[in-house]
Amino acid sequence: MMERDIPVVRSLLPRPHPPRRTLAIALMLTALLGSRAGAGTHASSEARSGLDIAAAAAQSWAGDASLIYIENDEDLQSGGTAPRWGYLFFSPALEKARVYSVRDGKIVVAENLEMKFEAPPLTAGWIDSGAALDAADEKAGRAFCREHGGKLSTMLLMRGAFSEGDPDQTTWTLIYTSPHAASLFVVVDASAGKVRRTWRG
Amino acid sequence: MRSHSIRQRLSAATPRARVPATTLLAVAAAVALHAPFACAEPAPEARAAPAVAAASDVATDVRVERVRPKREKHPTLRFLKENRDFIRARFDLLREKPDDHSGSAAAIDPRFLSYQHMLREILSARDSLAVAEDLRQRRDLFQSVTALGELEKELDLMENLLAAQRGRLGVMQADFTGRQQTALAIVVSGYPGDGALATLTITLDDGAPISIALSDEQRESLRRGGMLELFHGLVEPREQVLSIAIGGEGWPADDAGFVTLDPARDRLTFLRMDLTPAHAAQGAASMRASTWLQDTALDGSMVRASDGTPIRP
Repeated sequence: MMERDIPVVRSLLPRPHPPRRTLAIALMLTALLGSRAGAGTHASSEARSGLDIAAAAAQSWAGDASLIYIENDEDLQSGGTAPRWGYLFFSPALEKARVYSVRDGKIVVAENLEMKFEAPPLTAGWIDSGAALDAADEKAGRAFCREHGGKLSTMLLMRGAFSEGDPDQTTWTLIYTSPHAASLFVVVDASAGKVRRTWRG
Repeated sequence: MRSHSIRQRLSAATPRARVPATTLLAVAAAVALHAPFACAEPAPEARAAPAVAAASDVATDVRVERVRPKREKHPTLRFLKENRDFIRARFDLLREKPDDHSGSAAAIDPRFLSYQHMLREILSARDSLAVAEDLRQRRDLFQSVTALGELEKELDLMENLLAAQRGRLGVMQADFTGRQQTALAIVVSGYPGDGALATLTITLDDGAPISIALSDEQRESLRRGGMLELFHGLVEPREQVLSIAIGGEGWPADDAGFVTLDPARDRLTFLRMDLTPAHAAQGAASMRASTWLQDTALDGSMVRASDGTPIRP
């Protein structure tokens, strides 16, 4: 089973240098998880590749289900691809959310989300993960990785939560992590493909 | 646990989406074609023989296991789960943004009211211009035969656009009305050699158990070679484990047989549980199971009666 680093968001505000003990723990965790990570033998693809079968399954689960969130479930590879992506759907009729995790064109996980999560549906026409990564890398991501020895850990697509100006905007949020520095968050407008904001946290 | 008779089961609402009524005909046809013992009364041997050959070509035996198969656990949406409080808080901020201002109404500046009047005048002027332009264009068009020819070209263009739009609507209609979604039909046949059959309980992956109490007529039908439909509904196109339990005198309590299925996307999958080899002492796992897909290549218009006339022209 492949694992990946999960950055935990603490604040939207920039923060000073991390304390030494936190840094040490972060280094240990990164080394531990990093040794288990890898591309494996599964094909890596952009986020939209698994949407079709996930949507078909969601329609079987609930006719009113709509896509509300996407996240990479395994380590990201070059070009904004990952071997496995998770697609979260919400049904207002059932008042439940259900996730489908797709790898190699097959659903390998289907489970109800235990937590209450009523996010708005994603708008149509969102750019794929490769284009979002290009925009984020060019603006700040590449420089962050070069300066801090960081890497892209998470890409997530959702509507509202990370877009400050327009709450209706569907955005990709890319999170770059480094054992030596605070994580870099880059928010990309999923319609226009432009970077809207960046912050460290 | 819910309890339904088979007839009730077909009409009751379930958490999963229901299959359109028209597809029930397809189920009946496919079961009749692939399973020779589908009729309540056994068919004459001569007529059943071709169907036996067809069934043996397409049906695949499925293993019925005593213990639920273990599946590999894959973590999913970990960022969301790790940061749920933060993300929820962000959504809360979007829903509710209180400020320090009071909610009482203030007097409207008279200048703002005049803007509305000005806007109406602008719209009115624009309409007048449009009418004048339309009249001018009409005069120009009818001044010569050449202009009429151009008008004809424009009409042709509009017709082409309408035809293209009709084509697109046709595609959408086909997508939304004629598309087979991933569905599963579970049927049961045969009767156990020992032990009384009282209930059959099916549990789909992540679903609530569906318990069906068998009537005397249904038991008799199974003994005579009949077949009963236990479930017909939409399912997710993924590998999943179904459990089937047999209830009745002599059958062990809390016992079930487990079948792993991977329903094909946008196809109707059949699962047939044959109770003939089942024995109460060995539990539900002693039944036999087979699966097959609905044959989409079947052309209904080719179905003919014995005298050669089309049944459905």
